[in-house]
Amino acid sequence: MPDASFIGLGPFQWIALLVALVTLLVVADAWAGHYRRGFIRRAQYAPFLSGGLLVIFAVAATIAPRTRWIEVALRAAGWLAIAAGLVGFCFHHYYGIVRKPGGYKWLLNSLMYGAPPLAPLALTAMGVFALIAEKGLAGAPGIAGLPLRTSLLATIVVSLFGAILQAGILHFRGAFNNPLMYAPLTIPVFTALVGVWMMAEPSPVALIALVALFWLTLLTGFVGLGMHLRGFDRQMAGLYVPLFNWLQGPPAFAPALFVGLAAIGLVTTGLL
Amino acid sequence: MPKRDDAMTLPPGRGATVTRLGQALRLARLTAPLHPILVHFTIALTATAFAFDLLAFLFGVDALGAIGWWILAAAVLVTVATIATGVKSRLRLPVEEGEARSFLRVHMALGPIFFGLLVAVGIWRGMLWQAGSRVTWWYLAAMAGVTLVMAAQGYLGGELVYRYGAEVKFRYRKLAGDREPFPQSRVAQRAAAKKSARRS
Repeated sequence: MPDASFIGLGPFQWIALLVALVTLLVVADAWAGHYRRGFIRRAQYAPFLSGGLLVIFAVAATIAPRTRWIEVALRAAGWLAIAAGLVGFCFHHYYGIVRKPGGYKWLLNSLMYGAPPLAPLALTAMGVFALIAEKGLAGAPGIAGLPLRTSLLATIVVSLFGAILQAGILHFRGAFNNPLMYAPLTIPVFTALVGVWMMAEPSPVALIALVALFWLTLLTGFVGLGMHLRGFDRQMAGLYVPLFNWLQGPPAFAPALFVGLAAIGLVTTGLL
Repeated sequence: MPKRDDAMTLPPGRGATVTRLGQALRLARLTAPLHPILVHFTIALTATAFAFDLLAFLFGVDALGAIGWWILAAAVLVTVATIATGVKSRLRLPVEEGEARSFLRVHMALGPIFFGLLVAVGIWRGMLWQAGSRVTWWYLAAMAGVTLVMAAQGYLGGELVYRYGAEVKFRYRKLAGDREPFPQSRVAQRAAAKKSARRS
């Protein structure tokens, strides 16, 4: 485990903690979406089982790092989350696009109004981060032949592109009714591109640019959280009718994914 | 029947003077909204942290800087609860569309944005504290910006309570001696309506 730490926690403890927090929010959004559909399939409970285990063992790994059984449990929970996310992606694709009237001919409509196609991959991404954190806590130098720092940056970049794409589809559905709805298509895109640059050709300039963009992405996520909260209140009766407007309004915690990815990026660039 | 403005003769819980501990405990129902309480901690802690860091910077006293860091860390933790109770307050607040709701919407959007800024300066301050460095002009300028956003957010919240009565209107007990207007007879009501119509 690297010596660098921030307020008493090492980099992989921070990553495990961030994985737990973001997974909790991802699962909360999944609950809203699946409750709206009435939990018509048992598979719709899968993210709560896999996400719940991931939260528990990620928190445990933060509190008690270098505990053998917790590392094994975190690895298992990470793989379970990856599998649940991938299966969820296939389900969302099949029931949200293929089985919809018109199928692929009405692709744009299904992408916007069907199950969010990329949302389950957020759980997969958190599973991958959990696996990397587990390797880091165990003192391994790399994972799958890649150094841990590079593998973290690669996962952040891929996850950012996914989050940007999903936000783009849903904000397009919302007709970009507020100029701030363009925010996820601006700063996070630059962050992902500079992340690719940093991986391809690391340099001090690229590092400074990446750190600055991670900070801006973090703030963009918080702006998104505020605007989504405001979005509930644009609906009839606002949060005074909470359940209905939570289900029908913008996904409450989706922008937190940008916060989480940026925070993991700052840990990667600052402590590793 | 007790007189309305004689606090000593009213039954407990209906405005009477509380004279015993038992009466006070029976009256404690924790019905006050928590958001306006916690908001004061967020505002006070953030502003105090800024003040301590500014003093540490101006007079070069490291102990004041350390106090600034710990107070800011407390502000970040308290603000999580402030936002959570703010959402809870909104859940039980019926506000029809109009001026107050517009204030409320901006207040709701600005809350998480302020929290994001607070987290960012909190991390920055933590890094400085860990490195044993003093705060810089850049940090103080950022902190001044955060304090300004907090002031705007506090102003909006204040307007919601003191201008529009959010979570206050119809939710408090009347003070002893605060008389309701004497009910008018129908004849008197009609006469008053005619009088105001003539005036307009």
